Amino acid sequence: MNSEYQPKIVGLLCNWCSYAGADMAGTSRMSYPPSVRIIRVPCSGRVDPLLVAKCFQQGADGVLISGCHPGDCHYNEGNYHTRRRFALLHNLLDYLGIPKERLRLEWVSASEGRIFSQKVSDFTNELAELGPRSEG
Amino acid sequence: MDSELIQQIRNQARDLLESGAVKGIIGYERASDGLTARPFFAYEPDAVERLIFDETCTHNLVKYLVDKKGERMAILAKPCDSRALNLLINEEQIKRDQVFIIGVYCPGVVETSWNQKGQTQQPRCQTCQLLKPVVYDFLAGQEPARQPEAEVYSDIEEIESMPTAERRAFWLEHLGRCIRCYACRQVCPGCYCPECFAEQLDPAWVGIRIAPEENELWQTIRTLHLAGRCIGCNECERACPVDIPLSRLNRKLEKQVAQLFEFRAGLSPDEQPPFATFNKEERLGSEE
Amino acid sequence: MNLLMSRDDLVRWLQLLLQERILLAPMRVQGLVLFQPVSKVEDITFDFANTTLPPKVWFLPPTETLFSVRSCDGHTELVPATVEQQAVIFGVRPCDAKGITLMDSPFLEEPGDALYRERRAKTTLIGLSCRQAQPECFCTSVGSAPNDPSNVDILLTEIEDGYVVQVVTEQGKALLPQGLAEAGAAPPAPPEPQAVPTEGIVPAMQMLFNQPYWERLAERCLHCNVCAYVCPTCYCFDVRDYPNKGNIERVRSWESCQSPGFTRIAGGYNPRGTKGGRLRQRFYHKLLYFPGQFQEIACVGCGRCVKACPVNIDIREIISDLQQLGAKSG
Repeated sequence: MNSEYQPKIVGLLCNWCSYAGADMAGTSRMSYPPSVRIIRVPCSGRVDPLLVAKCFQQGADGVLISGCHPGDCHYNEGNYHTRRRFALLHNLLDYLGIPKERLRLEWVSASEGRIFSQKVSDFTNELAELGPRSEG
Repeated sequence: MDSELIQQIRNQARDLLESGAVKGIIGYERASDGLTARPFFAYEPDAVERLIFDETCTHNLVKYLVDKKGERMAILAKPCDSRALNLLINEEQIKRDQVFIIGVYCPGVVETSWNQKGQTQQPRCQTCQLLKPVVYDFLAGQEPARQPEAEVYSDIEEIESMPTAERRAFWLEHLGRCIRCYACRQVCPGCYCPECFAEQLDPAWVGIRIAPEENELWQTIRTLHLAGRCIGCNECERACPVDIPLSRLNRKLEKQVAQLFEFRAGLSPDEQPPFATFNKEERLGSEE
Repeated sequence: MNLLMSRDDLVRWLQLLLQERILLAPMRVQGLVLFQPVSKVEDITFDFANTTLPPKVWFLPPTETLFSVRSCDGHTELVPATVEQQAVIFGVRPCDAKGITLMDSPFLEEPGDALYRERRAKTTLIGLSCRQAQPECFCTSVGSAPNDPSNVDILLTEIEDGYVVQVVTEQGKALLPQGLAEAGAAPPAPPEPQAVPTEGIVPAMQMLFNQPYWERLAERCLHCNVCAYVCPTCYCFDVRDYPNKGNIERVRSWESCQSPGFTRIAGGYNPRGTKGGRLRQRFYHKLLYFPGQFQEIACVGCGRCVKACPVNIDIREIISDLQQLGAKSG
């Protein structure tokens, strides 16, 4: 395993909770690996499986979807739909040979900057173990 | 061929046409090989003499109704096809009062291609739990004396049990053969979008390049769009010119949806599909 | 003068060709038979009726990059695709070979398609006569035959212990091994595919454009595109530019006039938006427009469309229907 390998993660973060949480991690100068490329979406429920599949096709080593905690969605129910869609997507991608470890769904609220940075660190380390997508 | 069943179908069809109750009948006739069947549209009472029904009638005719909005049609429906009818009624692509459903008791169909007729029932028929259509206006034939086998997903489990790298290789090999003819989409009653995502130019999600990764993107998303909607008619696999095992994609999600949401598509016209609803308390095991 | 080649001679010859060229031959792939580049002669299947996809996959691949535009140290360069290696296609049936010759008309007519032209010049065709006609075949009704040598460089006809070898072109002759014996007897007589009466079809087409026949026939058509993709003489394509790792690539891929959006134009208008119009187009192209430009019907009677169509739209049935309609209108 190449110790210089830096996984490329695409982070689809909901505007109201997760993006704000990531922002808080930044303003509080919390340190976490520079692996995640953040794309802001209005709600985790906006995340179409097509976006995720496209990220993998374009070379992402990992994809992180993050939204408000269930019950706290800014649009009331978006994340319930995310949860259902994600279950299917996760299973199908795994079935196609993209291991489950490469796709994550997390709930991060606007005040959980530390938790966000921790989750990104964990994800990055796990992906570093797994190796680049091009090798499995 | 069961001559009594066919006579029932023809009589019903003739009545419907003569009374003007429908504009046309969508059924089956004998194909040019003299052996298998093909879809047939009858518009005149005399044409009903061409209608047949036998074990070669594997085609799902429901797709044709999507283009017949505003016209009152009658359609021949096997039990599997009737699930597609429920799906399209539920999704408001067909109006229930615009279609007269001639249901048939179906003992199962065989695999066919031009001039070739299989000897044994298709696997999907062996495990089909429906002896008669789930929706119909007239029912032809007699209850078949068959005992449906329990649904098993051994074809899916075989792939699930492969190590990740082997699974990846399996799919890249099969999907590598895809020539993106989109026959799978064209024959599918569940694929009726006026503009398919694969045809979008801006952004070009899939594009026109034909290569394993693009093909995989195409099939992955089509499969997901059919999650909780695919009724298992297997037309996609039948139409594929390069024998891609598409049923092993669609049935994977059929199994997943049944396990997670206890749901099978098309059993009732006013079901609540799992992706149009939600449950606040559920835990689906994919996130913390 | 025909020559003789034993099976062992053939295998040895193919092994030799493999060393210097790309060798495309029929191979069994998951229950299909497809033309693929072989790495060893043992992979070739000699026992087949015809391949699922015709040899057009070589001359007009399902997808290819025409050129790349690369940005390099501040300047831009256009890098065209090139065809490097010589190739041989083994196992081409006479009908498919005719299909290639028919495709030459649009692709080589000036100014010509550069990639097609290069590939065509660098590829030698080794034909294989048909010893059996399939139920879907009708090559003799459209100007070909199971043993027609006209469109290949060498034609092999299988006999009991080997092959009769007909040398057709200088390009073929240059490829043959030395020392082959002369064939004593003539090759066996070819099989007789079913006849489809095609007389008068071209003039008949001129009168039948507005017949309701097309819309009726098209009712069962699902516009699945399979007929066009398996056809040796269908060659429509789409061209688009895509970014790829900092470059732009111009990609050409197969398309089909059967596709509902094929003629959709900017603004959303679709001049050929009806099912009947699209189905009619395919047959008009094959039986009227192409003959009008190039004096040959664009169908080689291989029967692939008949086998592949999921709803049994059968070109032979259509030709027969059109002749009857033509006789009534004429």
